[in-house]
Amino acid sequence: MDAFAALCERIAATSSRNGKIRLLADYLRPLPDPHVALAVQFLAESPFASDGGRTLSIGHSTLREAVMLVTGWDKDIVRICHRTVGDTGETLSALLHGFTRNQPLSLDAARQHYLSLRDTRKNAAKVQHLAHCFRTYRPSTLKYFIKVITRGMRIGLQEKMLVEAVAAATGADLEAVRAATHRCGDLAQVALAARAGTLHAIAARLFHPMDFMLAKPLDSLFDIAAPNHWAIEDKYDGIRAQLHIQQGHIRLYTRGMDDATAAYPDLAGEAWQGLPDCILDGELMAWRDGRALHFNVLQQRLARKRPGAALIAEIPVAFMAYDLLYLGDSMVLGQPLEQRRAALETIVAAKGHPLLLSPRFAAATLQDIERLFQEARQRGNEGLMLKRLGSAYEMGKRSGTWYKLKRPLASLDVVITAAEQGHGKRATVLSDYTFAVRDGDRFLNIGKAYSGLTDAEIRELTRILRGLVTERFSRVLLVRPEVVLEVAFDGIQHSPRHKSGFAMRFPRILRWRRDKTAADIDTLDRVRAIYQQSLDGGAPVASTLEDPQP
Amino acid sequence: MHVTYSPEGIYLPDVDLWLDPRGSQPAAWLSHAHSDHARGSHGMAIGTPDTLEIYALRAGEAAVAQTRMHPLAYGESTLRHGARLTCLPAAHILGAAQLLVEHADQRLLYTGDIKLRAPLCGAETVVPPCHHLITECTFGLPIFHFLSREEAALRIQSFARQCLAEGDTPAFLGYALGRGQEIAHVLAQAAIPTRVHGAIARYFPWYQRAGYQFGDWQPYTSALSKQDAGSLPRALVAVPSFRGALQASAQRVRVAYVSGWASMDNARARTGAEELIPYSDHADFQELLDLVQRSAASRIDAVHGFTETFARILSQRGHDAHATTVFGERGADEETSD
Repeated sequence: MDAFAALCERIAATSSRNGKIRLLADYLRPLPDPHVALAVQFLAESPFASDGGRTLSIGHSTLREAVMLVTGWDKDIVRICHRTVGDTGETLSALLHGFTRNQPLSLDAARQHYLSLRDTRKNAAKVQHLAHCFRTYRPSTLKYFIKVITRGMRIGLQEKMLVEAVAAATGADLEAVRAATHRCGDLAQVALAARAGTLHAIAARLFHPMDFMLAKPLDSLFDIAAPNHWAIEDKYDGIRAQLHIQQGHIRLYTRGMDDATAAYPDLAGEAWQGLPDCILDGELMAWRDGRALHFNVLQQRLARKRPGAALIAEIPVAFMAYDLLYLGDSMVLGQPLEQRRAALETIVAAKGHPLLLSPRFAAATLQDIERLFQEARQRGNEGLMLKRLGSAYEMGKRSGTWYKLKRPLASLDVVITAAEQGHGKRATVLSDYTFAVRDGDRFLNIGKAYSGLTDAEIRELTRILRGLVTERFSRVLLVRPEVVLEVAFDGIQHSPRHKSGFAMRFPRILRWRRDKTAADIDTLDRVRAIYQQSLDGGAPVASTLEDPQP
Repeated sequence: MHVTYSPEGIYLPDVDLWLDPRGSQPAAWLSHAHSDHARGSHGMAIGTPDTLEIYALRAGEAAVAQTRMHPLAYGESTLRHGARLTCLPAAHILGAAQLLVEHADQRLLYTGDIKLRAPLCGAETVVPPCHHLITECTFGLPIFHFLSREEAALRIQSFARQCLAEGDTPAFLGYALGRGQEIAHVLAQAAIPTRVHGAIARYFPWYQRAGYQFGDWQPYTSALSKQDAGSLPRALVAVPSFRGALQASAQRVRVAYVSGWASMDNARARTGAEELIPYSDHADFQELLDLVQRSAASRIDAVHGFTETFARILSQRGHDAHATTVFGERGADEETSD
């Protein structure tokens, strides 16, 4: 990885296109096969081959936290440094200067770290592992070790140039390398085949899942400068899935899971002949009478690996398609959104139910988007997706060309009944809270949340809660119900997990309600009403245009 | 000792002296000759001989006709209103100096622009103990780490050699006063002939007097650039604003940017340079911390650059540190503070 990082620096410092390709080809030529695969994989801005499986799930804040742990710099200092530099890998490696043991890092060892990080579930453990790496290796190498994680090298090397360098390094025919890349989309695999002279044997991508492109949350509608530059669709409350069609057969892959085809015989049993080979991105929905059923209904299907005929008849599913990744004999990821959409429309029209086409809207103004949002909610969908016109499909990336616009379903005033210590830098404070709603004079737990308050508020709450402790179970402290929080959430469902019989989706703390006492909090009846409303097709949601969220 | 900060600059009422004032004042200390420090028409200007001469050259005769010049060489002192003013080297550009003010048992040190690393030629920085330190912090974030002068010289020379070997013209961009002369000197040491932009070459006499050598150099003119096909290949030394003219010259020019700001990759997009050489006449972050420690000051005022953040970092380390904003924020005068 040290030589790899040095190569990246040289490529960045070379302005000529051919110069960059020559540098890369010279670097790849003498490398052993496994290292060629790794180097090409990393330069393609991904730690692993795209297989629809588990990803690293390490965000910028996790990386930042690990650097704060190693260097002792606080969040504000890291933030202003990041604002000055502009790139996470570059900022963090510059901050690590002087805090590292400068040991060498091989490509293999880097891959081992990525694998361990992927298999580490808890964020606190990921932070620890990253901090270990950050203390050990050279900052100049860590810069690119981090850039592979954040999936952006920023050295002016486009994928086309990477393909040319692979051809130049292996002596393979450039057109053959290009064609193989288009068929399977896995450059590392193509590089090895180019070397072995087996490019012709590279099979099409079909029936091998790919990483899904992800959307960034849109905090405010005002962040959209030109509404007419975006294609708009409903954001569905279903299961993200990839539908592969090849010669009349289908396979269905869901995010982070294996082949899910067997669980949906109602889809697999359909007639799929006559359609071109293709890969579609979309959403699995419970669908009846031309309308999506609530996510809670779909969940009953998800629970069954092999559903019976009765369940299938009661809860039929459909595939709501919204993107096209592969068509005929090649990947179409790089085509502009509109072109992929046009081809997708032809495929869906040729098939029909249960293959559905996600309706697409256009907006001229922010008010249009707001209206579309309210309509999407009335149709029982979560919100909107905004996709930039002309954009490519970026596998596995959470890119700024897709935004999701969601708003909380509702908020509740609740009271804290238990508190727990956090992890990492929150290990000394009570930062995880269990909270309850009121039912007569009883307090019934309904959820747990740990984000949304400032560090200062958490410190103050910790002092207060320690004075309210009634019982102690190792890390968990039960407290007298006195502190009131306002909690927002995106959905609500029945659940045996909490005494109230309900559980929230994505609960987060909006604010500490110092002005309220436990007597003022929301009741179980209000929770039941919100639940009923959500089943009936969406409660009205406040507009961000009129009432910006805090 | 009293210090007041205002939009006009830093003022020491006990000594009735302005430090690098923004406008014209009765009495001013000029830490060095960059135009964001030495400007205006003062009643009296105190500074090193080099600083005062270059200040007069840049300000123009009319502006300094009424100014009484009070030269103070490194190590020299003068008395003013019962205070002792001592001039100490700052290793920024040629002639740059710190001012130590001793008044009624109190010692105040104003650094001006400063670095702790040894300069290419001339005197090294001395940091005397003081009670009150007023320091710049242009690069006061923990992301800034600069090359030593030897590393920087090596990078400059090898980039020039590589470009010339490949038939390209290397062009080095650096500020007209300070960086430009150092680059030309480093190239001359490697026997690489140069063409030097006039904005840089005009200060050569002062630098030569201080021991710099510029070897085989020619002034850069567009007329020369057209007729010199077949002549000796030369490296260009120019100011950052000259970048457009270089690109329009249709020669195969490859640009290197030598600056503290070159420690960030985003400098490529801003300057069009392919080679970034992070070297500066300012202190990098660690040098600033060393400066504070060596001064043993109990009170520190940060006056230029990332003042808020740097003062916060010092406060977290137990210092009585404050940020002031007498000078413009970073960006406006970036050209002069590289």
